[in-house]
Amino acid sequence: MVREIKTVLAVATLAVAFGLHSPAQAQESSAKALETGTFHGKVHSTSGRATIYQKEDGSLLLRLTNFKTSNGPDVHVILIAASDANDDANFLKSNTERVELGKLKGNEGDQNYVIPKGTDLSKFQTVSIYCERFNANFGAAPLEKF
Amino acid sequence: MMDSHSNSGRSRWKWLLIAVGIPVLIGAWWAFRPEKLWINKQVNEPAPFASTTDPQPLYTGLLEGEAHKTSGRATIYKTADGKEYLRLTNFSTSNGPDVHVLLARSDDENLKQEIVKGQLDSIELGPLKGNQGDQNYDLPASVDVQKYNAAVIFCERFHAVFGVARLEQF
Repeated sequence: MVREIKTVLAVATLAVAFGLHSPAQAQESSAKALETGTFHGKVHSTSGRATIYQKEDGSLLLRLTNFKTSNGPDVHVILIAASDANDDANFLKSNTERVELGKLKGNEGDQNYVIPKGTDLSKFQTVSIYCERFNANFGAAPLEKF
Repeated sequence: MMDSHSNSGRSRWKWLLIAVGIPVLIGAWWAFRPEKLWINKQVNEPAPFASTTDPQPLYTGLLEGEAHKTSGRATIYKTADGKEYLRLTNFSTSNGPDVHVLLARSDDENLKQEIVKGQLDSIELGPLKGNQGDQNYDLPASVDVQKYNAAVIFCERFHAVFGVARLEQF
């Protein structure tokens, strides 16, 4: 009887161990690139690539690579419901829909931003480096299917 | 008497100037943060995938073609063992005789014409496998992709450029 209980416990321990192990493996597997595009921006020279990845759990992530823009105050990364954007100040009309992805982490280098759940990528087609304070677009990357 | 009055007036002006000037300067500094023109903030976050056994995209670009409507994406991948290949995705072009896939220089004037007059400086990747659908083409070893940075769909028989994708770093 005791032996049986021990066996059951051992099997249960193994099951728990495997159960805990599998999510770690899922994290290691690769994310899939869905869309990509390159930045253009002349007023505040902006360059590099923006790519949207989908992870195994379905969550979306924006990654900037070879990225460079001018440093500035209160700069944010946003997705806008437009097929592209010009460098103009005041480019965002009050009715332009946007999704906030957070403050720009650095004006140079590779960086990741979480895209909120339920964001419709067929609608929000352009990444903008956006200076909130002056309503200025530092650079925009129109995204195309990868 | 007059002197001391004008002195105190001047000093009042001085204090007023300081009382107004300093907040204005601080406000202007806060708004424009001019020091950021010289100060960079460098970050370096890892890619969202840990596995490096999958082929990694190196260069990518969209295919464009006027004469023979060509669309899709061309991407150069590098495998874990160092081999490179070109992959076409969402690809569509018109069918034609003797159509090949080439790498050429994106600044080549010949690519701006629909028909190439002389010899196109290019690297042959093979005959086009299909005019629609996803397909892979191995790159010969030691191709300088920095130099041959455009994927070209090219009709050898008529020297016609069906489509060009200018490849940019992924």
